[in-house]
Amino acid sequence: MKETIKNTTLADRLLFLLLISLSVAGIFISRDALSQGSEVVIEVDGKPAYTLPLYEDRLVSVGGSYGDTLIEIKEKKVRVREAHCPNQICVKEGWISKGVIVCLPNKLIIIVGGSKKDEQLGIDAITG
Amino acid sequence: MINFRLFFPLLLFSCLLLSSCSADKMSTYKKSKALLDTFVAITVVADSKETAEEAIDNAFDVIEKFGELINFYSDKSELSAVNRNAGIREVKVSPETLDIIEKAVYIAERSGGAFDPTIGPEIQLWDFFNKIRPSDADIRKNLSLVNYKNIIIDKGNSTVFLKKKDMLLDLGGIAKGYAADLAVQALKEKGISAGLVAVAGDIKAFGLKTDKKPWTVGIKNPRQKSSEDEIIAKIHLSGKAISTSGDYERYFMLNGQRFHHLLNPRTGYPAYACQSVSVIADQAVMTDAFSTALFILGPEKGLELAKEMGIDALIIDDKSSVHTTSGLEGILFLERNH
Repeated sequence: MKETIKNTTLADRLLFLLLISLSVAGIFISRDALSQGSEVVIEVDGKPAYTLPLYEDRLVSVGGSYGDTLIEIKEKKVRVREAHCPNQICVKEGWISKGVIVCLPNKLIIIVGGSKKDEQLGIDAITG
Repeated sequence: MINFRLFFPLLLFSCLLLSSCSADKMSTYKKSKALLDTFVAITVVADSKETAEEAIDNAFDVIEKFGELINFYSDKSELSAVNRNAGIREVKVSPETLDIIEKAVYIAERSGGAFDPTIGPEIQLWDFFNKIRPSDADIRKNLSLVNYKNIIIDKGNSTVFLKKKDMLLDLGGIAKGYAADLAVQALKEKGISAGLVAVAGDIKAFGLKTDKKPWTVGIKNPRQKSSEDEIIAKIHLSGKAISTSGDYERYFMLNGQRFHHLLNPRTGYPAYACQSVSVIADQAVMTDAFSTALFILGPEKGLELAKEMGIDALIIDDKSSVHTTSGLEGILFLERNH
């Protein structure tokens, strides 16, 4: 065994290093995938516009077909505080700590956390 | 000089490691969009991002076009034209609109009116956001406008007529399921053999995931207390749809009583025999409407109807007891404490 280790060349060592790096990277990647989601993703017209932490209180203004929509993050909850769309469905939705708020006229979707946790539970979708 | 004795086995090992990841070229792709006044998420198994995106975008377009036909709130929709002309004249509609109304009437008939797409005038009286409970007199007055038998469909001429003035056809209890079916059909036409379409909580799954396993759908706990007990059960689905109707979706509490959006078409008041009902069947149009019907009927009559229709159901009654049909054995997994 000692003989074998002594006989290793630079190529062998590089290969070992590569394999070890891959394993370490794997630990970090899986750790990230398993961490609980606590993000607010704001999508405009099907594309992600903002990804914000749920634990930091703030106000975000997002432009859309009906002017600016004011989104409020407070105490790990999110709501549409102000919108100029005709039906106001998004405002009526109120505060959410998980799930989705949709404003169709402004083509706006606010997704709150959960997806990583769902993956952890082995769930592809939720009904109800 | 390279040590071949050690180098080759390691190289072989690395190749095996990499090939185990790439042997199956199929991957999972997911996209979401705001459609039908809700959140639509489509997941597909495909060999490339381009194939997946093209198929998903096409499915979104199909849902969007369908939504324009049956949007209750848009003056331009065919559904609004039917409602505006209630008691006046029949309205010519496209095959899709005719088809969904036909299906809605069929489910209304089979459920003995527990599901009724003419519930519109009663729903309009309630304001769940501002916690406004309508007066008993108003509820009674509008009841005469609720009856699916007053929908006159002329298939030959492709027309729909609501017999009484002020009747309102509301397809909100069936449209999302119908849209999920349309989307799955559109994905299959684009060559996708496995995927999951979720139009809010109306979900249809087909084919198997990349790990050759069926899709897993979580069913929400109607009386969730923390983030730990959000899911009451998990179900494995392939080639099946699931929908859930619950008293926790749109509701308000007044003097200790829960007022929710699942109104009994016979009384105009919320139905109280269940907390939530999930229905599993081949088509999402069926699961969407029958979940409402079973909720209104309650656990006993609901399970009877499910058996009669050859569909499966998970019913959580007003005392949080769980009732299921036998078809869910082996695919439904209740979480602990239930």
